[in-house]
Amino acid sequence: MAYKIGLVLDEERLKLIKGTELEKEIKDLFGGTLKMIEVEVTEEQAKILMQLFPRVRIDARGFVEETPVAFRKALYRSLINHRSKKDALEAILKDDKLLNEIKEMASKEDEYIPPP
Amino acid sequence: MKLIINNPPPYGGKLVNNIDKKEQELKGSPVYDIKPEIDRKSGAPIRNVYREIMSICYGFFSPLDRFMTKEDVDSVLKYRRLPDGYIFPFPIIFDADKEKIKSMQLKEGDRLYLRLKGKPFAYIDVDEMWDFDPADLAVKTFGTPEKNSDALKKPLDEKHPGFSIYRNMSGFAIAGKVFIINEPKFKDPYSRFWYPPERSREEFLRRKWRTVIAHQTRNVPHTGHEHLMKEAAFMGDVEPCRGILVNAIVGAKRIGDFVDEAILEGHEAVNKYGYIKPERHMVSFTLWDMRYGAPLESLLHGIIRQNMGCTHHMFGRDHAAAGDYFDPYSTQELWINGLPSYGFDAPPYDVEKGLEIRPVNMQEFFYCPRCNEITYSETCGHSEAQRFSGSFVRGLIAEGVKPPSVIFRPEVYSAIVKWWRVFGYPFVNKKYLMQKEDELEVEVG
Repeated sequence: MAYKIGLVLDEERLKLIKGTELEKEIKDLFGGTLKMIEVEVTEEQAKILMQLFPRVRIDARGFVEETPVAFRKALYRSLINHRSKKDALEAILKDDKLLNEIKEMASKEDEYIPPP
Repeated sequence: MKLIINNPPPYGGKLVNNIDKKEQELKGSPVYDIKPEIDRKSGAPIRNVYREIMSICYGFFSPLDRFMTKEDVDSVLKYRRLPDGYIFPFPIIFDADKEKIKSMQLKEGDRLYLRLKGKPFAYIDVDEMWDFDPADLAVKTFGTPEKNSDALKKPLDEKHPGFSIYRNMSGFAIAGKVFIINEPKFKDPYSRFWYPPERSREEFLRRKWRTVIAHQTRNVPHTGHEHLMKEAAFMGDVEPCRGILVNAIVGAKRIGDFVDEAILEGHEAVNKYGYIKPERHMVSFTLWDMRYGAPLESLLHGIIRQNMGCTHHMFGRDHAAAGDYFDPYSTQELWINGLPSYGFDAPPYDVEKGLEIRPVNMQEFFYCPRCNEITYSETCGHSEAQRFSGSFVRGLIAEGVKPPSVIFRPEVYSAIVKWWRVFGYPFVNKKYLMQKEDELEVEVG
């Protein structure tokens, strides 16, 4: 079964996607008040994510939720670099060094997230 | 069923008021310090029995006025009723350190004084001291999929927070009537929302609320919750309910929950900024470490809110559940047809010595891009629902994205940010959990 990760796009993130082939993948949510790109996740990839980050879970909509902020930021950067949703996730999951960095940052996220 | 519903009587006919202002802690009397119950595996605090003392003594659990004897617990586990026939879904047990109690040479008939945060707080007139097996109690409290196939999908285990509360008890119980001798003062912001049943009933009368619908919450309200409250209130009798009572359950938290302070002030923002008229909406809380018993929990919610003076209660899909142990519709089934395996061949308002409060079973509100508005799952005919998933909303907040007002009212989001600045984190984390259970919601004078 395939799942999804929803990457929310604020204005900064939108700027780097506009004009690329990813632009047509942008979805409107809640009457266009939110923009999102959905990255498909295989069953195996979902299992890996749940092992890496114990709080990750699949919600009723089939979305992989509760991924660390550091992971979602890395996924966005990978998306911009690879211009392909499939390659973006695969690249992160293959990069042990990056994954360790994300895990390190994620462990600090449990203690402090700067307020807006 | 009567057409016109009026403020219902307290459950059992009389509100318990176990506040003994005359009693002083006696020097030389046996004294026991209340400590939080700790999960042996994780080391996290999962319950503080002071919350049960508060809820008993201020009448939230009426007619229950005591910590249960073995006979009480046997009756609750077998029939979900107290020995006098009134419904009660959970064992309420004062479990203590047996060695400490032994060293005090406490015996039945004695008065045991209880200290909270080192200060005199309450006493129990000891009727009985008895041993139990916490593992057995945990299983019997919730039941099994074999015995309770109308509600349970799989056996509960220690991942379930309510099961864990019973499983981690000491195995030694002190039973008897409990009285508060020194009323604690709630800290800010809790003090604004403290409406024990006697006070909430007075407030309903002052507001001329003849019918009141209760909204159970452990969440900061998104607009889906707001619509749920507005629409459910349309149930009533000859008119929609006059009032909406938000009653948050304040107790031990789980990692990732919203913090209690933001939950209360988030709901307050709904009426303060007019999304629901303040004349029709008020926010309150009950102290209770939730057992997440879905239909069983809904019975306790019915008791608490009837005691507070409510005539109706909203029950959504998966009411008061954690994980996927219970059938998500088991609570609604209980309130429509009953759940025979728990002793209810009919709904709780249609049995002997039943509750007066009436259910309003609700489904889901979501955003429909075709309707271009928030719609109700049972009336919207489109199939492109955009749901207010709690984890999705938490993800947005953690990423620093301000949720659009179609999801969160800006003033509700401001309440989250206010407490985020105080605690350095928008949700419950380990630090908040430990600090909350160490400091509690109250000061004891």
